[in-house]
Amino acid sequence: MSNRDYLGEFEHIVVLALLRLGDRAYGVTVRQEIEARTSREVSIGAIYATLDRLEAKGYVKSRLGDPTPERGGRSKRFFRVSAKGVKAVNRTHRALQSMTSGLDLVRSYS
Amino acid sequence: MMTKPSLVQPPRLAVWLVNLFTPYEQSESILGDLFEEFSDLASKSGEALARRWFWRQSVKTVAHLIATGFLVVPWLIAGTVVGGWLLCWVFYWSTQKAVVALLYKYQVYAHIDAYVFWLIYAVLIERLIEPFIIGCIIAVAAKGREMVVTMTFGLIIGVWSGAGLAHFRPHWSESNFPLLLTTFVSPVMFVIGGGIVREIRSAMSRRPSATHS
Repeated sequence: MSNRDYLGEFEHIVVLALLRLGDRAYGVTVRQEIEARTSREVSIGAIYATLDRLEAKGYVKSRLGDPTPERGGRSKRFFRVSAKGVKAVNRTHRALQSMTSGLDLVRSYS
Repeated sequence: MMTKPSLVQPPRLAVWLVNLFTPYEQSESILGDLFEEFSDLASKSGEALARRWFWRQSVKTVAHLIATGFLVVPWLIAGTVVGGWLLCWVFYWSTQKAVVALLYKYQVYAHIDAYVFWLIYAVLIERLIEPFIIGCIIAVAAKGREMVVTMTFGLIIGVWSGAGLAHFRPHWSESNFPLLLTTFVSPVMFVIGGGIVREIRSAMSRRPSATHS
């Protein structure tokens, strides 16, 4: 893996939501967590497209839970961030911090 | 007071649409998540609001899945569209040759009205059945992305045919109407073929999960 592999904006948000939710992270909770914290309505399709991309990169792992009646007998798919994913989120975070350090964003650009 | 779990069902058409465009491996989790939130919302805020929410989520999800299809498997889509185009030429050419050969063999040309009738209607049937078969074939090749591929292909053929028709507009006449009509129905037949393949595959993929617990 290259050291230049940074997370995209939405990927970053999704990984942070997974880290916040821990064992409770699946489609519904991830979507609601993002909506609650960013006030941005996201579709479940967008969440899964991003999670699948992250899983393909090895940043996230998933497992199927048991089917439940309120889901029409369908299983939940739980997600967790892998060690590689944690490294990627840290790298992205450091890059953003480095880019924003010294900038007075509120005063200079508002 | 305890909230009773909602027995309200989400809009069937929306569920069908999401199922049609979702890759199999995501189908169970995406629909399950939508059902869960719908059920929760219906018991808290009422059926009308929950249905509106479900439709909004479904439309956004389908749009996202279509866009993602182009990003994730661009070569599969391009390959099946080119393959479908070649199949069209082979099918159309061979069927028209076969129809004309049959008409000559049985000497239908001796009766000019019957000849024109069979020639036109055989070509009309061909223009409806063949796109359907080609839609099925390219959908089989594009496993998991049946709808994106057949819709893209239908759109390309529709635009191509439309441009051709516009070019020959001065030669249009009333007798060409059935032919004009099938030109616009053909792209829809590709999509119907793709949809049927998708439905069959979807039903087959649900079978093993019915035993999974």
